[in-house]
Parts: sequence; C-alpha cells; structure tokens
Amino acid sequence: MFQPSPEAAQVHAEAGHAAAEGAAEGFNAGTVIIEHVSNSSLEHPLIHLPKVLGIDFSVTKHVFMLWLVAAILFFGITWVVRRYIRQERLIPRGFMGVLEIGVEFIRDSIVLPNVGQKWVKTWTPLLLTLFLFILGANLIGLIPIFDVLALLNHTVIHAPEDSFFAQMLHGGVTATGNFNVTAALATVTFFTIIVAGSRAHGFVKHWTNMIPSGMPWPLYILLIPIEVMGMFIRPFALTMRLAANMTGGHIAILAILSFVFIFNDMIGSLGATGIGLVFSVPLAVGISGLEVIVVLVQAYVFTLLTAVFVGMAIHAHH
Amino acid sequence: MNNPLVQPDPGLYIWTIVTFLVLVALLAKFAWRPLLEALEARQESIRKSLDDARQAKQELERLHAESAQILATARAEAETIMSRTRADADRFREELKQKARAEAGGIVRNAEQQIQLETSRALQQIRQEAVDISVAIASKLLQRNVSKEDNERLIEETFAQLETTHRPS
Repeated sequence: MFQPSPEAAQVHAEAGHAAAEGAAEGFNAGTVIIEHVSNSSLEHPLIHLPKVLGIDFSVTKHVFMLWLVAAILFFGITWVVRRYIRQERLIPRGFMGVLEIGVEFIRDSIVLPNVGQKWVKTWTPLLLTLFLFILGANLIGLIPIFDVLALLNHTVIHAPEDSFFAQMLHGGVTATGNFNVTAALATVTFFTIIVAGSRAHGFVKHWTNMIPSGMPWPLYILLIPIEVMGMFIRPFALTMRLAANMTGGHIAILAILSFVFIFNDMIGSLGATGIGLVFSVPLAVGISGLEVIVVLVQAYVFTLLTAVFVGMAIHAHH
Repeated sequence: MNNPLVQPDPGLYIWTIVTFLVLVALLAKFAWRPLLEALEARQESIRKSLDDARQAKQELERLHAESAQILATARAEAETIMSRTRADADRFREELKQKARAEAGGIVRNAEQQIQLETSRALQQIRQEAVDISVAIASKLLQRNVSKEDNERLIEETFAQLETTHRPS
C-alpha cells in the first residue's frame, strides 16, 4: 500500500500501530512494512474454509482483492459493452472510447503481431483479460481504501478484532505483489503456450517443434535440457518480475514514510512532522507517480511476453 | 519460511487460477466476443461506406463527363443547324430577290411593249385623222372635188417628206 497524502500516512501509521504486536516498545519499521505488503495470515483469514487434500482454501485478503478486481472488471466492462451495443448507431462514447482504445491496442499491437492473423480471435479474449486483471490488481493497490477504513476503525467504529471488518484491515492490498498470485498467472501462461502450440501443430508436434531438427545427435543431449529448462524459466521470470516490481515500489514508499515514525521515536513529534512534510511525503508522492507507470508497464510486459511465447509456439519453424 | 513475503500459499495459488479462468470465461462470453464482433462490424461498415463514397464519386464524375459531352454535342448540333438555317435563309432571300427582279423586269418590258404598241396605234390614228382633216380642208379650199385617191397620194407624199426631215424620236 502507499499513501499519497500526509493524512493517509497518518492512517497508515495508525493501522501499523494497531496491528504491530510490539507497539508499546516503539516503532518497528520492518514489521509494519511486511504487514503492509504481505497477505493476511492463514491463521486469521476473512472466511474460514476447510482444508482439501491438505490445501487451505480459506479466503485471505489477497483472494478477496482478486475477487474484488474480477467483479469490478466483469461488471464494469460488461456494462460498458452492453450499453455500447444497445445503441442504434455504433458510436463509441465515454468509457467505451477508453475501453475501445485499450482493446484495439491489445489486439492490434500485442496479439496480432505475435500470434498472427489466423489466431487473433482465439487468443485476444485471454490476453485482454490477463492484461486488465493484472492492471486492475496492480492499480487497486495504489488506492489507500483500507487505510482510510483503518483510521475510521481506530477513531470511530472500534470493530472487534475478530470481526470480518477488522480482519479486512490486515494485510497488503496488492495481490499481484504476492508471488503465489503471479505464479498462478504464469501457470496460466505456461499452459496457454502448450495449448496454443498443440492447437496449431498437434500435441506431439508441439513438443518436437521446441527442438531444432537435423542436428548431430550429441547436441541433443545439450539442447533438450536447455529447452526444457527454458520452458519453466519463462513463467518463473514472469512470476518474479511482476511480484518483485509490485512489492518493491510499495516497500520503497512505506520505508520513506516510516522515517516519520522513526524520527518520532528519536526526536519527538515536532521534528518528525517536519521530516514528513519536507522529505517523506514529497518523495512518497513522487514514487507513487512512478508506481502508476510501473503498474502499467508491468501489466503490459506480462501480457506482451505471454503473447510472444504463444506466438513462438504457433510459429515454430524447425 | 517465516517471512510472510515468501510464504508458499497453495490455496491462494489455486484461487488465483480459478478466479482468473472464471473471469476469462465470463468476460469472453459477455464482453469480449460481442465487443470484438461489434468492432469488426463497424470496421466493415466504415470500409463499405468509404467504398460506396468512392464509387458514388466515380459515378458522379462519369455522369459529369457524360453530361458535358452531351452538352458539347448539342451545342455543335445547334451550331450546324444555325449555320444551315442561315445559309438557307440567305439562299431563299437571294432567290426571292432574283425572282422579284425577274418579275419586275418582265412587267417593265411588258409595259414598254404596251406603250410602244399604244403609241404606234395612236400615231396611226392621228395620221388617219390628219389625212381625213387635210382632205376635208383641201377640198374646201379648192372647191373642187379632187378624187379621194389623188388627195391621199398627195398627202402621203407630204408626210413622207415630213418624216424624212422630222423623224420622231
């Protein structure tokens, strides 16, 4: 999470203090930052669900955020599209204009050049959803909704600690900063590549396509392991790139804002306020602006690379 | 593995895949397919409209050229008709003039002939009258009756004498 204003920074601190067990012993920047970028713990999920085959399916904060993003995207986009199609003359207006630019950009600049004319219709819906899902999850992390709610809870509401509302206030908001989430998305990419290759060339041909033919046989001892490794390294790189970028920016902002509270413990509230006004808040605002770009770029990169990998599977010429 | 940042969470992993795939299916069915179809249909309609416009423009140009050609032909034809008419009128006028002149000439000639005829007849009459009067006068003067034949011969001689000296012009 990040806070673009001093008020929000205050909120953040309040929430941090409320959450940190060792609040009485002074401000612990590490604990607070980790609390704000990681998922809520499985011991205190939002909704308890039974374990299936040893896997805890309880709904944690990040699962909840993914559902929120999915719901916003589904209802928002469906509403805009339905309203557009109901028109007698198809003139894009308002949100439709924005959506259309996005859709045409993804289709014509990402999907089409990579997968080719024949497969555009097949893979555009998946890649569009992938882009918007990642972008939505990234963006919602930039909005300090839960920090405002935490401040309200701390000052006005005073919800019981084990209530659903209070549980919602724990944990980071940016689900794409969690490598479990990005790994899941990269897994989708992984299987998409296999499905795309199999549909274009047949299941067996897809695998033989991966290795160049007509080489002397000793080379294959080297090539096959490399190609198999590459198959797994690609999604792994996608996983790490997105999670690290999303977490990194938030940690930077939180660390800079933490100076206020570190100095509060060291030199008192007046000096800390000065540090906050002169140093922490302007820098945090600047990094937040940078984050808006990073959020867009990372969603774009993930989608583009997926399209490139799918295109490589489709246009394998060996 | 106590750091929550690197905590493996298979539940979250599976939830993410399920959420994403459900979202893909729903959006594909309710948003992307209708939207992409609408975009394609619009692209098609724009292309068709542009083609139609170009065709209409070509048709218009063709019609324009055709009408210009028709106009030019009509103008040339009108020119020919005009000149032919003018020539015809000239010829007709000339003919009329010729005819009128000929007619006038005929009338004049006729009148001259008539005049000549009348003149000679009048002269003849006058001559006869004069002879008679002269004879009457002469016989009165001579108190004798000269035979009429003698008188006439005498007068004829006198006139012949007169005519040789005073020939009427």
